[in-house]
This record gives sequence, structure tokens and C-alpha cells, in this order.
Amino acid sequence: MRKTVFVLLTLAVLFVAAPAFAQGGPGAAPASDMKWIYITAGFSMALASSVCALGQAKVAAAVAEGLARNPAARPGIQLALFLGLALIESLALYTLAIIFLKLK
Amino acid sequence: MSETPPPSPPPAAEAFYSGAYRRMERFLLALGLAALPLLWWKAGARFALGYVAGGLVAFVNFHWLKRGVEALADRITRSGRPQPATGIVLRFLLRYFLVAAAAYAIFTISAASVYGLLAGLCLPVAGILCEAGYEVVISVRRGY
Repeated sequence: MRKTVFVLLTLAVLFVAAPAFAQGGPGAAPASDMKWIYITAGFSMALASSVCALGQAKVAAAVAEGLARNPAARPGIQLALFLGLALIESLALYTLAIIFLKLK
Repeated sequence: MSETPPPSPPPAAEAFYSGAYRRMERFLLALGLAALPLLWWKAGARFALGYVAGGLVAFVNFHWLKRGVEALADRITRSGRPQPATGIVLRFLLRYFLVAAAAYAIFTISAASVYGLLAGLCLPVAGILCEAGYEVVISVRRGY
């Protein structure tokens, strides 16, 4: 668990540090900096997609268990599943939007 | 000692909350249409066209997500007309393919309209937030 937290914190620091590397001069970023921006963007999207997929899987598993235990509660649970999936998907979309804005 | 069952909500409250999907779709459409002229004026025609495409994809995506969730719930509770699991998964994947195809098509036409597409794809969240605010107001007013 501590190792996972350490890896995630390191990745977070790297993601935060990448824009600082890109602020070299008033003009366009040098090619070497652009390379790091692209790499960071790829990692950010991969991380966001995987965490969102994990979140959706957890939501779906919880809903399946809840519905199987209490089918009468279907309307409320179904709405919660729908909202959960839509909002989790939107998080990946926000990551994509931020990446596009950074690569502009 | 037997547990007392939780009190069931009044029929008016049930009817109100069961209309949430329909209201969200209406909020989505209303917000999309309301923001379109403003975006066209402020950000240009390309951005607005990307926004329209993104809004359409988001609406279709929203509708298919709803159908997918219903099919999944049907399958779990064994009610309605159960659909094969492969079909449900394929429909979920098809939604992602639709969004990716629209983004790729628009990106090849104009890079500027990709931002409009992304703005349009965020419309369902705005619709959900509007519905949440509406439900809070109505539940406080009517005491649900």
C-alpha cells in the first residue's frame, strides 16, 4: 500500500513539474521540452482512463450486488448507476480537455 | 426483535424522481441551444460547429448510456426482456467508438473546432448539475 502511494505521489509530482519545465522562454517551447509535454500528456490520459475505468467497475459491481440483494430498489439504484457512470466518464473527458489546452 | 421496513416515499415524490432522466435530457438540449448563439458570437463559427457536433454526440451517448444501464438492470434483476451480455458490452464500447470517431473526424477538418467538440461533450454534466439543483429546490419546497 505504501509503495503504491509512493508511486502515485511521484507521478503526481512529475505531472506538476512538467509544465514548469515547459516555461523556458517567451516563444514556443524547445523540442526537448515538447517531448516531455507529450509524454506527460500521454501518461496523464492513461492514468485518468485507468482510474476512471476502475471507478466505473466499482460502481457497476456495487450496483449489481445491490440490485441482486434488493430488486425492489431498482429505480433509485439505476439512477445512481447512470449518474455515477456519466460523471466518472466526464472526468476522463476533462483530462482530455486539459491535455488539449496544454498542447495548444 | 424485528426490523421495521424503511418508510416508502410518497407517490408524488416517486413520480417526481422517476422523471429525472427526461428532465436531464431536456436540460441538456436547453443548455446546448441556449449557449450556441453566444459561442458562435464569441468564439466563431468553427468553434460553434464543433460545439454542435459535440452536443449531438453527447446526447446520443447519454441516451445509449441510459439504455445500457436499463439493459444491465434488466439482466441483474431478470425482469423485462433480458439481453445478451455481449450486446450490452458492445453497446457500451460502441459509445466510446462514436466519440472517438467524431473527435477524429472533426480534428481532421479543423483543430479549432476540437475545443468546441470538447465543450459540447461536457453538456451532460451541465444537464446533471441543473437537474441536481432543480431537485434540491423542489424537494425543499415540497418537503420530499
